[in-house]
Amino acid sequence: MLFRRIVLYALLVGASAGLLLTVVQLWQVIPIIHSAERFEGEKVPAGVHGHVGHQHAEHEHSAGAWEPAAGAERTGFTVMSNVLMAVGFALVLLPVMLVSSKTGGESKVNWSKGLFWGAAGYAVFYLAPSLGLPPEVPGAVAAPLEARQLWWLFAVTCTAAGLAGVAFGKTPWRWAALGLLVLPHIVGAPRPLTAAFSGHPAAVTAELARLAEQFIGATAVANGVLWLTLGLASIWAVRRIGSVST
Amino acid sequence: MTMQHSVSTDLGESIAVSALPSKALQLAFSLFLGAVILYGIGFIETSTVHNAAHDMRHSQGFPCH
Repeated sequence: MLFRRIVLYALLVGASAGLLLTVVQLWQVIPIIHSAERFEGEKVPAGVHGHVGHQHAEHEHSAGAWEPAAGAERTGFTVMSNVLMAVGFALVLLPVMLVSSKTGGESKVNWSKGLFWGAAGYAVFYLAPSLGLPPEVPGAVAAPLEARQLWWLFAVTCTAAGLAGVAFGKTPWRWAALGLLVLPHIVGAPRPLTAAFSGHPAAVTAELARLAEQFIGATAVANGVLWLTLGLASIWAVRRIGSVST
Repeated sequence: MTMQHSVSTDLGESIAVSALPSKALQLAFSLFLGAVILYGIGFIETSTVHNAAHDMRHSQGFPCH
């Protein structure tokens, strides 16, 4: 049964990509998150900045809510989240790749195709949303969450449709799909009303800004490794799953 | 309709001439399952889920907080 094979291979592909991602995250991404979190207790009293109260200005976790204990437990949940997320991406990627390889025959299923799909995934799920909403360190002020989530989905959908239109369209009109790539950035991502680290003493603001800059580089590398692995492992999976044409 | 197709594929893929809609459905359902997992791990705001997936969300650029 095709569905069973896809799920089995998505689990294998996702587990390998998620575990590799964790190794890369532990190198740069996680240390930066921990450094930024150390400053969260050092904010100027909230009354001074009452006007940003609705903006999720602080890295607040609801009082009393469960959270993993620092150390092994927190890392364990991050590993689990990484693997689940990668399995989710593999379940999206594999059916699309299977349909695409069906039209091209076996000759199209090669490693360079894996690089191509990995690059496409990186562009759709990391580059495009990050252009409007750069990955943030904890403690940064941001626009309301729902607005950012909607824009994230909008950017991902437009970029995926735009790339698919250019890659698989059959008429010269397919170049019009390039317009979809820029649309989310013309609409623009939701912006916070205040500077990213308002409410902190000046020295802390400077340090957080430096961490925020490093964080973008670190996540760019981590996501690159994730999508390179997802692309190559998915090509292996597509070859194993075989043809979906009848 | 789907049931009928899966029975025929169990006997051998080559004889399942009419199995195409069923395969399309299976592909679509795989994609849907992936989207549900990604929504759960990346978007659900409930504190417990958020706190468990926190570092991954920051790392992967999912909007967080």
